[in-house]
Amino acid sequence: MRICILGFGSVGQGVAHVFSMKREIIMQEYGLDLKLVAALDRSGAAIDPEGLNTDLLLSTKKDTGRVSEYPEHGVAGLSGMELLDEVEYDCLIEVTPTNIEDAEPARSHILKAMSAGKNVVTSNKGPLALSFSELSHTATENNVQFKYEASVGGAMPIINFAHETLSGCKIESIYGILNGTTNYILSRMAKEGSSYDQTLNEAQEMGIAETDPTQDVEGEDAACKVVILANSILNMDVTYDDVEVRGISQITPESITLAKKEGYLIKLIGEVSPDSLEVSPRLVKKGSPFAVEGTLNVATLKTDLADEVTVVGKGAGSVETASAILSDIISIWKTNN
Amino acid sequence: MRLNLVLELLDVPGQLLDALNPIGRLGANIVAVIHQRDVKTERGTIPVQITIEGDKETLNQVLKVLEDGGIQIIQVDGIVRKEKITTIMVGNIVDQDLKDTVNLLNQIEGVMVADLDLKMSDHPEKSASRIVIEAEQGRKKEAMAKIKEIGNQKGFLVINEV
Repeated sequence: MRICILGFGSVGQGVAHVFSMKREIIMQEYGLDLKLVAALDRSGAAIDPEGLNTDLLLSTKKDTGRVSEYPEHGVAGLSGMELLDEVEYDCLIEVTPTNIEDAEPARSHILKAMSAGKNVVTSNKGPLALSFSELSHTATENNVQFKYEASVGGAMPIINFAHETLSGCKIESIYGILNGTTNYILSRMAKEGSSYDQTLNEAQEMGIAETDPTQDVEGEDAACKVVILANSILNMDVTYDDVEVRGISQITPESITLAKKEGYLIKLIGEVSPDSLEVSPRLVKKGSPFAVEGTLNVATLKTDLADEVTVVGKGAGSVETASAILSDIISIWKTNN
Repeated sequence: MRLNLVLELLDVPGQLLDALNPIGRLGANIVAVIHQRDVKTERGTIPVQITIEGDKETLNQVLKVLEDGGIQIIQVDGIVRKEKITTIMVGNIVDQDLKDTVNLLNQIEGVMVADLDLKMSDHPEKSASRIVIEAEQGRKKEAMAKIKEIGNQKGFLVINEV
């Protein structure tokens, strides 16, 4: 399978790393040859129809910060749209940074690939949260596969899990901790009794929270995931503006102390149900499935047949997120072969 | 002594048996069971009236075992049992007239404030209060939505249960 990666940040590099680690085993087990024919970052691209060397690609990125410095096959200044015109490929991995204003350039990349009859795997929440129905219709019209397991909960299985493992069950609602950064901050505040600002600083120093933490702490990231789950699992037709969003920046040590006194913890919870789409700080019982610490993500799916099923996993991380992308690629391969 | 209970059971096979089993096992007598499968509550559950007999301690134990087993007891001797709702509100609680907040909450039908705990901060606008509210069985969801509405009107951050 000829694969093209747009975006070579943490997730893109994780995918290249996983390809290096797993290429042989996947060839043996599934007969799938993972051939990375192009990778693109802000600097331009590295293109080789015979397949790039993923180790060399990673070391080039590490040393120079640009994939376009890749020996002999680097092309500086190429855009994603230009690259998709130029390269022969079977599957696009779209992992450019999430943009929740207008979903670009990811939305255009994905639509272009689909219109050309290519399968698409993405972890990019922007286009999924803003243009879900457009994208899934385009995929159906062009008879291509569109997979996005990595967009919600990183390594935590949820979308394919609901579609495949729980197939036959009606999913009535989903409640979950869908953002690792806020879970880390709230867990630390509960443990240390520290203030919100102090704990946010600590998380930033550790690289858990970004320099501009707004998307995480104001609940925007979790709200995107609520939209994705609502559309893809509960078959709703909603977009980002349909979610009621409240973040954690107003949470105080005093409120956490009061919650603890009654046996509760405060967590940022995403709620997906036909009568409510919401991200807000909520009280969860200590010892309940939601009482997970650190950067973990968790989701409880309420179903008609299996009652409640809970999944937990690492919500972020380069290789962890890439694991979900790899599973999407293998699943596409299995369906087509 | 005798106790009249109204239980609420899910409409799935085995539920009635699960409710009756512990009663006999704990040594209480079942005097009467009224179970009409075709009468349902608006939530789709089936109310079952049961009269049991035994000493006080046994009967209390029966209630506990039933509740621990996830069986909803909605009435005991004609008295409607309550559900507890815990909410935390963050904001300038005192400035926003605490008494008025409690009054507004009490005005929600079937709801009463049962407990209140305040924790003041050096920054008054960051003070927190924990309010425990008792709602009639089945009114929890509606009550929680109203609580949020009242809190939001006063500019508080409302942290409800999941």
